Amino acid sequence: MRLDYVEVCGFRGFREKVRVEFGAGFTVITGRNGVGKSTLCDAVEFAILGEIAKYAVESAAKETVRDYIWWRGDGSPTSHYVTASFVDRDGKTFSITRSRDGGADKTSAEIEAQLCQGAVPDEPLRQLCKTSVIRDEWIASLSLDLSETQRFDLVRAALGSVEGADLAAKAKAVVTLAEAACGRAEASYQQARSVLEGGLVQLSEANDAANRSGDISAAMAALDRIVPPTDDELAQRIDAARRSLPDRRLRLEGLNLAAFEGHEVAAQQRAFNSPDEVARRERAKAELETARLNFDHLRAETDAALRAYELEAMANDIAASLSILVEHGDKLGLHNDHCPLCAATRTNTEFSLGIQSARARIDQLAGGVNLARENLASARQAASQAERQVTEAQAIWDAIEEQLRTLHAREEAHIEIFERYGLNPVNAANPDALELEALNEREQLVELERALNALEASRAIDALTSVDARVSILRRQADAAADELARAQSAVASAKSLEKSVRRSAGEIVDERLARISPLLNEIYQRLRPHANWRSIDYSIRGDVRRFLSLRVGDELNPQFVFSSGQRRAAGLAFLLSVHLARPWSRWETLVLDDPVQHIDDFRALQLVEVLSSFRQVGRQIVVAVEDEALADLLCRRMLSTPEQGGRRYTIDFNERGVADVIARLDIAPMAPGILRGFDDAKATA
Amino acid sequence: MDISTQSEVVLREAGYETWPWTGASPPVICFESATVVGFVHVFGSANELLDTWETAQQRVLARHAPALRAAGAKAWNVYSVFLTSELAPTLQHRVEKLEENFVLTRKIARTAIQTAEDVTNVLMTFGPIKAQPLLGNADMAERLRARAKDIPVEVLNAFLGDLRPEDVAAILGSPT
Repeated sequence: MRLDYVEVCGFRGFREKVRVEFGAGFTVITGRNGVGKSTLCDAVEFAILGEIAKYAVESAAKETVRDYIWWRGDGSPTSHYVTASFVDRDGKTFSITRSRDGGADKTSAEIEAQLCQGAVPDEPLRQLCKTSVIRDEWIASLSLDLSETQRFDLVRAALGSVEGADLAAKAKAVVTLAEAACGRAEASYQQARSVLEGGLVQLSEANDAANRSGDISAAMAALDRIVPPTDDELAQRIDAARRSLPDRRLRLEGLNLAAFEGHEVAAQQRAFNSPDEVARRERAKAELETARLNFDHLRAETDAALRAYELEAMANDIAASLSILVEHGDKLGLHNDHCPLCAATRTNTEFSLGIQSARARIDQLAGGVNLARENLASARQAASQAERQVTEAQAIWDAIEEQLRTLHAREEAHIEIFERYGLNPVNAANPDALELEALNEREQLVELERALNALEASRAIDALTSVDARVSILRRQADAAADELARAQSAVASAKSLEKSVRRSAGEIVDERLARISPLLNEIYQRLRPHANWRSIDYSIRGDVRRFLSLRVGDELNPQFVFSSGQRRAAGLAFLLSVHLARPWSRWETLVLDDPVQHIDDFRALQLVEVLSSFRQVGRQIVVAVEDEALADLLCRRMLSTPEQGGRRYTIDFNERGVADVIARLDIAPMAPGILRGFDDAKATA
Repeated sequence: MDISTQSEVVLREAGYETWPWTGASPPVICFESATVVGFVHVFGSANELLDTWETAQQRVLARHAPALRAAGAKAWNVYSVFLTSELAPTLQHRVEKLEENFVLTRKIARTAIQTAEDVTNVLMTFGPIKAQPLLGNADMAERLRARAKDIPVEVLNAFLGDLRPEDVAAILGSPT
């Protein structure tokens, strides 16, 4: 299937109807920038896909490339449509028309049926356009600068789907189902194991209990001895005895406490009543009484001294007044033989003697007060010392009384223990008896617990048989669950192995196909010779789940990083051309190149022309749009034009109405054959 | 390996007419197709190639000038191929640099042409794309049977047959 023609009207930059009828061999479209060379390539893609995929930017300022599919310039086109027509080797045509108002006249399935065959990749029409219409924009972005994963995907898509690829999805579904079943089996197994382990714990406990059974008759005797027999069943007696254990333990605790406290009280009593302590108390009491008596006596003496002192002080005051009077009388002397003080008739002698006598009396009165003061001070000091002695003796006695109170309090607390624990206080004053009672109680308690354990163990023996039987059943159930789990795990392993085998097989097929296109890639690479030193290029595939296709030149060098921009584009072009030629599912045999020589020097542009020429030699239709007229000349001269597959050249430019149009069409005639040979043959003949 | 002879073999396989022009020694191999004419010059050494290629080219073009003038557009597609078997690694780049000289003819100049494969590679430009990837349909089922030997045959049959994944999983998990 080849491109026959494309006709556009009101499409992108073409306002008026333009029809380009492609040469069956090749078509070179030339023209200045912006006249619509690329639009003609876009038109082919749009007719097939209904979109133009080269625009990486989906939208800008709320507009998308869809808003610019149809003419938006001045004037109104007569119509808005694109028609791409194809013709097969038998001359049968197939055309697709997409109009702005009516959409496409063919469905994607109809287009796919005409342009594709066999095992097609996903989105076959998109893949078809991507690998048939090689644009300047894509040479870089879709070739060498692709990530290794994207490159692998591109090549795998170009090679078409692997037959039976749906088996991968089926195998994955099998794995998922097997894993789900395995999960259920695992849960069942775990549950069975859990139940079994519970049973085993019970069995172990029953075994332990049974092992503790010991001498049952001795246990019964102990039980009878400690707990009086009743008419109840043994189990009831055991339960009753088991229930009585806390009370017995409490009573034992009380006895122990009472015995301990009894010993403590007795010890304190012994200490308090010891002869030394009794003597000390008597001595302290006597000392206190003596001190008090002494103090009372001295306090009475002090009172007496005080009274004496007060008398002497009064006498002293009288003496002082009398002295003033006497001295005054003496100074006055007798007055008319009369005493000036008492008016009594006195002689001078009598008066002098009277004065002397008064003075002596005054001295006597005044002399007693000092002695009385001294006596009072001594009495007070003695009384104070006696008071201190009383205080000290009282403190000693108070301590003795406190000791006694403490003893009484402890004795009361000891009695309270009996009340608190419900014990008979008959032995309260006999701690040894209490201790003996506690020992007996402990002995009974131990014996009773042992007897109870032994009797309960004897009952566990009966339970052991049923537990053992139950554990056997649980074990069989767990074994069955384990078998089921093993089968499920084996199924998962098999499913995974199956899926891996499917993936490996599909991978092998893809790898083998890649291996088969490797020589093609290398041939085109060698023909384009992107780099003077590295004449060949290799690829390698890595990865299992994510596949990587890496390109290598020289000594494992990545051309992406060692090539210049132009060299990368040339190498990328070789890659894309090899992908283009390697599509077994494409019925469309046209290679459309939109401006493929940007950033490529003249030497490599010439080599590209030679490569396209080699494509022509195997009959592939080439459509190439270039800006450079000289390059267009070269392409037209170098690519093969035959009567059956002629070449054609179009020049696009703005016409006299200022709209893009075909302004020149030139059929490229086949060249004359055998020119040189004929000349040489003629020369030789001559 | 004789470069001249091998060149004729390769070019003829690519659809070219070839013949020797004995006006030079060794003879120049002339070739012509529907679009291309050319001449293969063989030199004894790289130095000789570098020293005499221009003279050799001039001589053969002059000899064929009348024919080339009559060839029309084809005269634009004249190739001169300069080859030597000498390894001459130090001169390799100088020799290959001649290819960037577009005066009169498009040139192909190489050293170390020692095997038939070398000749095929150097003349690759003139032939059609050789590599034809054979991407026939692969029998996925057969390959899977070969790869999945650890999977029981009945499971594989079920998997490759029409049974649903649920059925295949059930077969996988069933007691053997």
